[in-house]
Amino acid sequence: MAPSLGARPGWSRRAQYSLFFSFLLAIVGLVIGLIMLTLSLVAPASYSAVRGAALDVTAPITGALGEVVTTVQGLGSGAGNYWDAARQNGKLKAERTKMLRRMIEAKAIAQENRQLKAALQLRERSERAVASGRIVGSSFESARRFAVLSVGSSDGVRIGMPVRAPDGLIGRVVDAGRLASRVLLISDRSNIVPVRMLRTGMAVISTGRGDGTVDLRPLEVGRNPFRRGDIVVTSGTGGLYPPLVPVARVVRLDDDGAIAIPLADPSDTSFAVVEAPYEEAAIEAAQEPR
Amino acid sequence: MVRAGLSTRGAIERGPRPYAAAVPPASVVAASALAILPIVAPLGWFPDFGFIMLVAWRLLRSDVWPAWWGAPLGFANDLLTGGPIGLSVALWTAAMLALDLSDRRTMWRDYWVEWALAVVLIAVSEWAHWRIDALMGARMDPWSLVPRVIIAALCFPFAAWLVARLDRWRLGR
Repeated sequence: MAPSLGARPGWSRRAQYSLFFSFLLAIVGLVIGLIMLTLSLVAPASYSAVRGAALDVTAPITGALGEVVTTVQGLGSGAGNYWDAARQNGKLKAERTKMLRRMIEAKAIAQENRQLKAALQLRERSERAVASGRIVGSSFESARRFAVLSVGSSDGVRIGMPVRAPDGLIGRVVDAGRLASRVLLISDRSNIVPVRMLRTGMAVISTGRGDGTVDLRPLEVGRNPFRRGDIVVTSGTGGLYPPLVPVARVVRLDDDGAIAIPLADPSDTSFAVVEAPYEEAAIEAAQEPR
Repeated sequence: MVRAGLSTRGAIERGPRPYAAAVPPASVVAASALAILPIVAPLGWFPDFGFIMLVAWRLLRSDVWPAWWGAPLGFANDLLTGGPIGLSVALWTAAMLALDLSDRRTMWRDYWVEWALAVVLIAVSEWAHWRIDALMGARMDPWSLVPRVIIAALCFPFAAWLVARLDRWRLGR
């Protein structure tokens, strides 16, 4: 192919000028882009309105498309469930009796807990849910891990609020539009969650690894305290995440920590609940650059 | 296309579609808008569709848009993908300027040269994304860039094919 002749438009003065000015305009565009980028690095809050508005436009479309996908998948898995209904039924019944036994135990423990707390005169903070919505999309084009949630500031969602699913912690809100919000998942590299081990109560720091897993490091240096299958829960330190929300399960040990899989899988969660920050002061701390 | 002369459509009504000039930017925005598909993935390994489409159009035709159009198209991409605002604005404009410069330098062009140019631009773009993510507190392993660049590089021929089809369709050839 011959080289394109775009660079030299001939003898026409008008064409030469228009080429020159479009070059100048491109330089201006580049400079504006760099200024905008610097602004989004040092003061991310300055774009919250425009980012929220963009979310309001895109998230309903994502949600509608997601409905279609869920319906089609539901037809497939629904047919599959009918296929071996008898065996599934037997298994579920066995599981149910086991769960009932466990539930009674748990109720007894909860009651005992309440009595002990009353004895210690601990003030119980009410964990109130602000809104609940569906996870409709994610940042599948980027190395960062974000999810799009179908509730926004019209439902009371504000930037910095923690988001959880019935299974465990999902992350925290970083952009809030009127109809939708963007959630920084706990598996993102920049999301650091103070947690503790359920078995020993040892304080641990959980950092996302960007690939759907989290990295656990104990605060105290010493022998590796983890075992495979250990569960970590939020400790409530820092005041952003409420305590005792399940976070992740250890799947592999490395030299001084462990790699764990979050218990709440965003792609498999039907509903996510946005909660008020455990301590209101934490919401200002959460506004800092992500 | 020699066989076009044999088709039933006469030579008289053949010509550019209405709004033919709007097709390239519209297709780039549509590629950026793939980011709003309802995919919840644990790992973000999909390529930057908008950027690949932009580079494919620009490599096919040098007169498809002036270089400064990279800025508004990049802004649309930033909004649609939810990335840091300004990154695509700067990156896409810089890519258009770089291709303008490379047009003056390259003596000849064939498919492999275009693919190599696209891979270089994709690699630089992925590196810039990695660098900005690191500045925002999400520092990934540099080796994680390699699979991303390879996936995007393998997506480029498909984008180039799609762009060539779109170009022929919009010009009515």
